[in-house]
Amino acid sequence: MQAHASSPVGFAPLLACLGLLALWEAAARIVGISGLPPAYDALRELPLILSDAEALLNIAASLRRMLLGFVLALLFAIPAGLCMGRSARVAAFFNPLLMIIYPVPKAALMPIIMLWLGIGDASKTIVISLGVSLPVIYHSYQGARGVEEKLIWSAAAMGMQKSARLWRIVLPAALPQIFVGIRTGLVLALITMVTSEMIARQTGVGSILFNALDMAQYASVYAMIVIVGVLGFVLDLCIEMLRAKLVQWAEPAHEIAVGTS
Amino acid sequence: MSTERTWQLLLGALPLVCLLAFWHGVVVAGLAPAALLPAPSAVFARLLEQARNPLFLAHAATTLIRLFAGFGIALVLGVALGLAAASNRKAEALIRPLWRVLAPVPKIALYPALVLILGFEHASKVALVVADALFPILLATYQGAAAVEPKLVWAARAVGASRNRALLTVVLPAALPTILTGARVGLIISAIVVFLAEMLTSTDGLGHLLVYASRTFQTVDMFVPLITISIIGLLLNAGFNGLRKRFLAGFPDEG
Repeated sequence: MQAHASSPVGFAPLLACLGLLALWEAAARIVGISGLPPAYDALRELPLILSDAEALLNIAASLRRMLLGFVLALLFAIPAGLCMGRSARVAAFFNPLLMIIYPVPKAALMPIIMLWLGIGDASKTIVISLGVSLPVIYHSYQGARGVEEKLIWSAAAMGMQKSARLWRIVLPAALPQIFVGIRTGLVLALITMVTSEMIARQTGVGSILFNALDMAQYASVYAMIVIVGVLGFVLDLCIEMLRAKLVQWAEPAHEIAVGTS
Repeated sequence: MSTERTWQLLLGALPLVCLLAFWHGVVVAGLAPAALLPAPSAVFARLLEQARNPLFLAHAATTLIRLFAGFGIALVLGVALGLAAASNRKAEALIRPLWRVLAPVPKIALYPALVLILGFEHASKVALVVADALFPILLATYQGAAAVEPKLVWAARAVGASRNRALLTVVLPAALPTILTGARVGLIISAIVVFLAEMLTSTDGLGHLLVYASRTFQTVDMFVPLITISIIGLLLNAGFNGLRKRFLAGFPDEG
């Protein structure tokens, strides 16, 4: 397991990628429908898309909205979650509201928010940050609730102010949990990004993807899927590396404890 | 204790009441035209009306069928794969790289491919729900099973339980709290994803109703499917907590 820790990606996931591509190629050859082009055809489209300035601008627009929405969400979701975790009153205040909002698909708010703010960046960014904020609030809350009370008592006994305790004790102690929320948030951000661009087709990877589908350019559809997939993978890797750097101490001692055969 | 409980309930109702009052106030003050923001009373009246409309209920049932079919498949697959990965080195070597690659991929982007391969009907939507709900459950099962105290397994093996039996009767129950947490995340993601899939391409289901209403500018009808999916999510969550309390009577509660 040491090899996993030192190299961020490792050899096995690369093999898994190749395996999936081979599976795709084989399935396409066997099934032989136009809706499932062989992997080779789709991958051949990749350089075409990636050398097209317009496509690159679209991808950049998607990323900009997503990152902006993501950062906005973190800025209010982490403090809100931490406060909820440290005060039963605050938690009781926000919990029912959050429980009601959680299962609402945030991208489904798109048609309504579009009525108010138009189909531009503002509505998409808001929808994305809504999608990110809920898992982050939830996990920050859980993390702050699980902080060892003795740590807080010690800090209080040494004369640390309440707000400083939240910042210096509760935040670092809850950080492993917060990162779980951030990772879930990333998944939801990507879902929301693609869907919002599909609903309000103007710019972005979602609109390229579904326009290609409508025009029956199936190889491009699959090439875009590969691009979005790689995007998700790389962003997740960035978060994972940041997590490894910030909360190294929280790494579980034994990764696998059962069934050591 | 019980006064504290009612006090907390009242406190929790406060933001909801404020939100409704604010919404009502904006409409009454004429700050937003009714075409953009209908009054809350109009929305809830329409919701009650639709709750007795068999056509609306049929759409809601379609959504629920897809949700449960997808979630059920994801639950079985996720728990099985997670246990396999946690208990068997070879299975882990196979499953772990696959999930490392596939878990962060936004599955909604696969939806066009699923539509092309499986068609516009149930199958493509159920497949999308499975793809999205699978990984939280798989990951939680793996982590839960991997964190089980090895002494428990050794004890079971020492009294003669076979490896598989120890897996099912010791590891699985011990990992249950974590599995249920993952399953709950998976369930909420299922509700979100099935709705989105129906919004993208569908001729039935709650998501389709929302898109249809937005195309015909029936703002009131846009809110009704949203509130319905929220209620469905709440009921599922409550049902889940009930199950959790039953299964895990001794474990500490989770918020």
